[in-house]
Amino acid sequence: MTSCAAHDASAPRHTSAGQGRAGILARLRPYVQALFLALFVILITLAWVLGDSRSWANLFFRLDPLAGAMSMLAGRRFLPALLLSLLTIGLTLMVGRVWCAWICPLGTLLDWTPARQQPNAALGPESPWRRVKYILLIAMLASAIAGSLTVLLLDPIVLTSQMIGRVFLPLVEQAFSLLERAGFAIPWTRPLVSSADNLLRGTIFPLERHFYGGAVLIGLVFAGILALNALAPRFWCRHLCPLGALLGLLSRAAWIRRRVNTSCIDCGRCARLCPTGTIDAGRGYASDPAECTTCLLCQDACPVSAISFSGGSLRPAPSQNYDPTRRQALVTLGLGLAGVGLFRAGPSSDFLDPHRILPPGGRENDLASKCIRCGLCLKACPTGGLQPAFPRASAQDLWTPVLVPRMGYCDYSCHACGQICPTGAIPDIPLDIKRTVIIGKAYIDTSRCIPWSEGRDCIVCEEMCPVPDKAIKLEEARVKTVAGQTVTVKLPHVERERCIGCGICEYQCPVAGQAAVRVYSPVLERG
Amino acid sequence: MKPILSRKEFIRRVAFAGMGLAGTALLQACGTPAAPALNRITLEPSPTARPSAAPSPTYTPRAPAAPLPTPTPAAIPPTAAPAPSTALPHLAVVRGASAEAITRQAVTALGGIGRFVKAGDDVIIKPNICNAYHGPEYASTTNPEVVAALVKMCLEAGARRVRVMDFPFAGTPQKAYEVSGIGAAVRAAGGEMEVMSKVKYRQVDIPAGQTIKRWNIYGDALDADVLINVPIAKDHGSTRLTLGMKNLMGLVLDRAGFHARGLHQCIVDLNTVVRPHLTVVDATRILVANGPTGGSLDDVRVMNTVIASPDIVAADAYATTLFGLTPADVAYISMGAERGLGTADLTRIAIAEIEL
Repeated sequence: MTSCAAHDASAPRHTSAGQGRAGILARLRPYVQALFLALFVILITLAWVLGDSRSWANLFFRLDPLAGAMSMLAGRRFLPALLLSLLTIGLTLMVGRVWCAWICPLGTLLDWTPARQQPNAALGPESPWRRVKYILLIAMLASAIAGSLTVLLLDPIVLTSQMIGRVFLPLVEQAFSLLERAGFAIPWTRPLVSSADNLLRGTIFPLERHFYGGAVLIGLVFAGILALNALAPRFWCRHLCPLGALLGLLSRAAWIRRRVNTSCIDCGRCARLCPTGTIDAGRGYASDPAECTTCLLCQDACPVSAISFSGGSLRPAPSQNYDPTRRQALVTLGLGLAGVGLFRAGPSSDFLDPHRILPPGGRENDLASKCIRCGLCLKACPTGGLQPAFPRASAQDLWTPVLVPRMGYCDYSCHACGQICPTGAIPDIPLDIKRTVIIGKAYIDTSRCIPWSEGRDCIVCEEMCPVPDKAIKLEEARVKTVAGQTVTVKLPHVERERCIGCGICEYQCPVAGQAAVRVYSPVLERG
Repeated sequence: MKPILSRKEFIRRVAFAGMGLAGTALLQACGTPAAPALNRITLEPSPTARPSAAPSPTYTPRAPAAPLPTPTPAAIPPTAAPAPSTALPHLAVVRGASAEAITRQAVTALGGIGRFVKAGDDVIIKPNICNAYHGPEYASTTNPEVVAALVKMCLEAGARRVRVMDFPFAGTPQKAYEVSGIGAAVRAAGGEMEVMSKVKYRQVDIPAGQTIKRWNIYGDALDADVLINVPIAKDHGSTRLTLGMKNLMGLVLDRAGFHARGLHQCIVDLNTVVRPHLTVVDATRILVANGPTGGSLDDVRVMNTVIASPDIVAADAYATTLFGLTPADVAYISMGAERGLGTADLTRIAIAEIEL
């Protein structure tokens, strides 16, 4: 197959203007990348500080057309908030896959990771392995059609957000704690520690350390993706990234494309530099617009200004050997649909976890079919109680948020998870209504509860209960202690119809280990 | 690929970082008192028990806040202020519509703020900001006007710094400070809100403690020149009422431990080491049921009252009467009086009752 774009005689020539401007742009790119990465991290970090404007924190997810389209498809509804991703689509149709080289936080981290510069021939410009990302994209589409979004965990923005929220920021917090303790030991740095703590605790860092299930797994998967750079630069973007695949498909129709004119002296510098390795020396240094990320490195490096990025293309770029065939696409689609069936063949999450408590409104809203697994709600939760559903969840519900009250309760004065959710999987319910939404029901384990089992007063659960007329009531009763004396104690009882399942009783219960009052899923039938 | 760093440079940097870390670790090892790693108490005195009156090695308190020696039946004056002349009342109760005016009047009746705060003092005010659920009209947190009036008075007396803090049991402190209205009021009055920092808690010996002998307590509250305790009077499930003595629980980290060991005794034990110089009970609004969280205006009674005394037991004892109770109904009050923390017998003290 020959490439039309490369030696298109009608293509406008940029001999004078191109070089200087491209040089500046190409050298500017690392700063633009750093800026977007910083913005990405800062927005996640500020999930508490932003308060009621915290929906800004999900900006990157609203710009992500993959997450947006899949969430609408699986949730079977239109989400106006996600129309912001039309900006990304429009940009891609104008100038190609610029998202990948200029904006994507994962792309930036991959650029910063050392990489093997001359990959194996099997991973060259025409490597059939480039197909994998399209296959993943089709599988994702199939699963979204079938109503499942679990595969969206492979969206690069989702992955990076999980990495920042579950791994990076907790590590920064640990470092901050160490510094604080060291600084507090030295008298003259003590005021500094005090001010830093006042400024950062409860705003950026939690007051008490938060822990997340699955953090190790996320860290390992993310490290693995970076480590793939050892095979080729941006191995992830070339071969695996489903968002890259989607943007690549759009790029085929991009107006501005990379062109090589006849002054090329065949030095091969561009082909060696190209981070996605799509410049093919065997085809006159042509490239596939679906693989080109418009990083401008080739243009900047060309000694004779033979490379330009210029407009004028109306016809879509030709297909490549590594594009999936129609048959492959259909088989993937079929297997994807069947795969979701398999997801649902196992026991439901409510069966696997009788304490499965979803964030307010999530259960009524069929959360799993709308949740893109971005993990922003976990970051927004001030108590650290929201955890990824893993491993006690069906494949269908994997990594959706669940409340684990022993780790953190659902704060009666907070509805941050609904405010930050980019897809409305957790509905943004006003606080006064959220306070009445039932997310679970508390039950007292009288064999472990201090007053019930030991005949001593305790009442923490009653004290903490935030419901105005108290869903936990105390009843004075004469009980027999272990020693055989009869004493009067206050025994806690849950008034089930008032309980909203916030779990602060379970969180604060002073019984060691598992609490003596536990919140159960409000769905008691096997669903 | 060209290496980013030369090997030599890399090793140099790692060595520097290592030395830095080792340095901090060393400082940490030297600087932290040898306290048990766990935030738990030792119930039994150690075999080499030191005399019970000896202060903890980590804590050299100023005279007024000294841990109590062996309990004596006589009330121990809790403040360093000049012994009140006979003209000054032991307790002041002021009623009136303006929270600021009655707070000021109550302190004035006790001899004025100058009796408690000297120029250059570092003052900590501890209101009750137990959670971030409701605004002040629900009477689950201290009235911001009462707190702000005290901040202003302390600054007028020349205090170097006035900090206000609590450790809410639900929600972040920042949010609780805002929802309660105390954050805005204190800043407007010229005070600072402090987020209680975990590094500032330290293990403190409680020589006169009967249930707990050692506990993690907020160091700054012990080190401050003046500690002013500003509880709100409200209903509480297990202790019946939460008042001044119970409000000091906000200064300890492990509160579940108190509950598990018997709340009343632990509160009294804590009060033997944390000795506020002044207690101002906010009873402008009181919560008569479903405390300490509240949430229903039906449970709120407007009392327009402030009770102030350097004697925390007496202030609490008087506050019980607003609920139609007697001091004997709240166990930690009578236990506190027995342990010599103050006077619960309201007939034995001089009370100034003022209507504005």
